[in-house]
Amino acid sequence: MALLEVHDLRTTFKTEDGVVAAVNGLSFSVEPGSTLGIVGESGSGKSVTSLSIMRLIAQNGTIERGTILFKGENLLDKSEAEMRKIRGRDIAMIFQDPMTSLNPVLTIGEQIAEATRLHLGLNKKEALDKAVDMLRLVRIPIAEKRLRDYPHQFSGGMRQRVMIAMALSCDPAVLIADEPTTALDVTIQAQIIELMNEMQARLGSAIVLITHDLGVVAETCENVLVMYGGNMVEYGTATEIFDSPKMPYTMGLLESLPRLDQAGSRLIPIEGQPPNLLRMPPGCAFAPRCRYRMPICDEPVPLYDFGNGHVARCFLYDQRAEGQKPIEAENRPVIAGSAVAQAPPRVAR
Amino acid sequence: MTAPSAGAAAAATVAPHDDLVIVRDLYKYFPITAGILQRHVADVRAVDGIDFEIRRGETLGLVGESGSGKTTAGRVILRLTEATKGSVQFEGRELVGLSRNDLRPLRKEMQIIFQDPYASLNPRMTVGSIVREPLEIHGIAHGKEADVRVQELLRLVGLQPHHANRYPHEFSGGQRQRVGVARALAVNPKFIVADEPVSALDVSIQAQVINLLQDLQQQLGLTYLFIAHDLSVVRHISNRVAVMYVGKIVEIADRDRLYDNPLHPYTQALLSAIPIPDPDIERRRKRVILTGDIPSPVNPPPGCRFHTRCPIAFDRCKVEVPAFKEYEPGHRAACHWVEEHGGTAPDLTVTPTALA
Repeated sequence: MALLEVHDLRTTFKTEDGVVAAVNGLSFSVEPGSTLGIVGESGSGKSVTSLSIMRLIAQNGTIERGTILFKGENLLDKSEAEMRKIRGRDIAMIFQDPMTSLNPVLTIGEQIAEATRLHLGLNKKEALDKAVDMLRLVRIPIAEKRLRDYPHQFSGGMRQRVMIAMALSCDPAVLIADEPTTALDVTIQAQIIELMNEMQARLGSAIVLITHDLGVVAETCENVLVMYGGNMVEYGTATEIFDSPKMPYTMGLLESLPRLDQAGSRLIPIEGQPPNLLRMPPGCAFAPRCRYRMPICDEPVPLYDFGNGHVARCFLYDQRAEGQKPIEAENRPVIAGSAVAQAPPRVAR
Repeated sequence: MTAPSAGAAAAATVAPHDDLVIVRDLYKYFPITAGILQRHVADVRAVDGIDFEIRRGETLGLVGESGSGKTTAGRVILRLTEATKGSVQFEGRELVGLSRNDLRPLRKEMQIIFQDPYASLNPRMTVGSIVREPLEIHGIAHGKEADVRVQELLRLVGLQPHHANRYPHEFSGGQRQRVGVARALAVNPKFIVADEPVSALDVSIQAQVINLLQDLQQQLGLTYLFIAHDLSVVRHISNRVAVMYVGKIVEIADRDRLYDNPLHPYTQALLSAIPIPDPDIERRRKRVILTGDIPSPVNPPPGCRFHTRCPIAFDRCKVEVPAFKEYEPGHRAACHWVEEHGGTAPDLTVTPTALA
């Protein structure tokens, strides 16, 4: 049995302009001790997925449908009091911005101790000792002293270490990390990723890493889930996703990325704009930007299985699509390259 | 400060390139004051003596982490912020100390594209009037003529002419950045400082804007100073690359030279820190992971600023500022280790003791 199993999750938000389905029909599972990368761009629903699992959806949001099984129990059936016991103890979370997710008026020690006192029933002294151990584990120098410091006395990278120490202090089965390194500089990002990998090897938590950075995914994840427009469009092992992507969006993402190990050949962008969740296309959400778009793409797309758990949601692999020719994507904006040909003459100097 | 004479001398002896911008010994300190008397207590040494040239038609990438001073450097060069001291020459004319009146005609030669396409466009102006404003300020076009020019500019950056009547909030991030580009191009500049122009954009949109900037450069013969923290993007777009660390340039070279043979330990660590989107390569790669944090520019470490995090620092690094020296044609670096080893690059993936 999988440790965490999300099935047909649909989370919607009421906005001034109408109801928006940020996550729509998402299913996936996480095995104990594994690392799953959830990749997507802004608005793809990756953060709402993690907040749904934690039941931390904002006031105007509802989990309309689906199940979230943790160790076989549906988290959506839990009361708020039961959820409070699960959050932090069984499923912990690290957020993107370590400044706004720490309480500025409590010392670091108090904040870490709060979790262990609450969840593990430690007394104050035991909890503070445990906090020192955790700070040492995440390699914060002179931990006994730093315990009494406030968040503003730490740098961004150090704060993220504190967050990791806090999240891991109750030895959670699942750690959800939502863009944990996005706010950090690259040399600090490398430190934090190394630390997370090391912590996982040591403590055996499963990690769900939510990120837009495919490089970070390649560095840390065994399995990758690609999201677009509120649902999964492809899932597979990291090697499968990077070496033989099936869904044109995944291909496009990889092609559009400038790479450190490749000199400047021209990038191949994905044309068009991200989908507007208020006006989703009837079939495949990616169809309006897809260079392989066919008439059939306006129908609901099933998942196709490529073996080894590699699945993708795309009609290119459907028999019904045979003989259908790609149609020119509508609303495609004027591509820069073609526009330049008609550039206005330069004003003479 | 003792550093930069070596760099200046090297530039003088090499055959002169067609330099559009020449930066010499440039400093920008922001004073920190305290008390009701606003007593001057310290300085943020954002830019602390930098030297480089930007050649006509090229893209110079300026990379560094937060607090390295890269954005301040860009702003001081354009005189959006006044230099504390030093020299910036644009087409042979000194910009530092130039009066407002003398500067105004030069303003239209130099433009800037900002990082955040959400904050850098006035939400109450239509896209058309945003792009039109510089035309009128500089007296380039008015009335019907300006309308036509606005339409041309929008088309040039891949937008539709009818977008002129819309407001910024009606556009996505990538489209807004195109508006920012159109505004910068309106006055026919020769030189553009692009300050993290794609950092706020999604990956799939980033590539659109990068390609646009490259096409425009070719078409219009633009010169870019491309400021970014993302070394993959910088490698992609730049002809030459300069690396900044806490107010100083530690290394500058042609793109391929810098990425294939980085001399400075900081450059090496920075390159090593970038994850490559390929799990097979990631598994085989040897990484240099720096310890510690980036020092504060208020109180930069003495000697070489990188010595507090450098795995191969020795005694000299703690006291003496390394000279910014040329080791290969056009390849300058400021490192005592490199100097003492005849310009060879240290191999940081080997344990530090084996290198000593």
